[in-house]
Amino acid sequence: MHIPDGILPLSVTGSGYAATVLTTWYSIRKIRQKEDPRQDIPKASLLTAAFFVASWIHIPVPPTSVHLVLNGLLGALLGYYAFPAILIGLFFQAIMFGHGGLTTLGVNAMIMGFPALIAHQIFRLRKWRNGESQRKTGAFGFLSGVVATGISVAMFVIILLTNLPAEINIVSERTAIYALAIAHIPIIFIEGTITALVTVFIRKVRPGILDGV
Amino acid sequence: MNLGIDEYTDLDSPFHRWDPRYKIIGLITLVFAFSFIRDLRMLLAVAVATIAIYGISRLPAGFIVKRFRYPSFFLLAIVLSLPFLSGEHVLMSLGPIALRQEGLLATILIATRFSCILIVGMILLGTTPLLTNIKAVRSLGIPDIMADMALLAFRYLQEIGRDLRNMQTSMRLRGFKERRFSPRGLKTLAWLSGSLLIYSYERSESIYKAMVLRGYGQAPPRKDEFQPNKKDALILVAIILVAAGFIIGDLMLGHSTSTLLQ
Repeated sequence: MHIPDGILPLSVTGSGYAATVLTTWYSIRKIRQKEDPRQDIPKASLLTAAFFVASWIHIPVPPTSVHLVLNGLLGALLGYYAFPAILIGLFFQAIMFGHGGLTTLGVNAMIMGFPALIAHQIFRLRKWRNGESQRKTGAFGFLSGVVATGISVAMFVIILLTNLPAEINIVSERTAIYALAIAHIPIIFIEGTITALVTVFIRKVRPGILDGV
Repeated sequence: MNLGIDEYTDLDSPFHRWDPRYKIIGLITLVFAFSFIRDLRMLLAVAVATIAIYGISRLPAGFIVKRFRYPSFFLLAIVLSLPFLSGEHVLMSLGPIALRQEGLLATILIATRFSCILIVGMILLGTTPLLTNIKAVRSLGIPDIMADMALLAFRYLQEIGRDLRNMQTSMRLRGFKERRFSPRGLKTLAWLSGSLLIYSYERSESIYKAMVLRGYGQAPPRKDEFQPNKKDALILVAIILVAAGFIIGDLMLGHSTSTLLQ
């Protein structure tokens, strides 16, 4: 789900950067409202690195395998740090492995990062009414993963297919949208399941992390 | 994990000597100008300019070839589909498969723009150490929180990557089969991810204590380490003029590719 350089026109890549600057500014403003924002930087940074590394874990989905996106989990655990974390992670992925690109960094950050902020708000709902429980952590973890990946897939498909520098006929475009959407359904559910399992695991082993960075 | 991006930063070329802040501004402007191009003649000029500046950078060809490995899969999907799905003017047909002019032109446009942007991006990142580039963007005004996070994340990427490899080796030694899908396998992989996160979180607590002991957050603002000279400024002006030239040239030629596509 990384759009490479060269596909999108300047108007879209420029708008992506503008939206990313605004969202980063908003996230950092929220982070700075904390009592000592510096205290959380090492935690957020190491979790950023860990998320980056965890995305290398391949899940077998016969006949192929998929790697994890984890933006729902990132939003759930990192809160407002999730957006800067994703921006940094995407920058590293672009320069080290050629996933994504420099001109599309803003667009890709919005595709991955904006849903992570929504996932953060969803995951916070687990404390609503009667406090937190293992079942609620798992359920809202699943929902965070499914919603974040689902929105990312939708944004990716729409941005990609509506900005190709050639007109694709309506039937082919609709077929491509359906094919891409159907191909991503197992990934969306795997992301949700992994997010649920990881959040429950962390709740059992180190519940403090779930209080947010 | 060999990141490989800093492998050739100690070479000597005008791009290696260029002030990192000016280099970021200049080359980012250039890649955005590339993404504006839609005229095939300007595309040729862009390709020639890219090859020329890659030659000036003295980076070896193998450095860029390695970078094409992963993105080429995505590009391959576009190259294999777009010429057959997009457009009305059929150039050749073989049974139900038809090669279409508009799709073919769009594919050439995408592939060339992609390659040129990737190469210029690699000149930007391959001629200055990544840590210096992060310091340079901090100096250009990105928030301290972002710069600190990027520096720390980069510092620990390799170590956490090693942790993951060790954990995966232990799992395999205990009989875990990564290539078989099962609910239990999914749970094990989730626990692997969770362990990695918890281990990193715990490590961050001792890192924070060590950082505070060394004066993190207390030190006076450092003097700017970048001292650009006139030559750096001249190169920046030249690159921006080249970028502007591409955009003006494309506008003057009237986006011939897009005309063909309509």
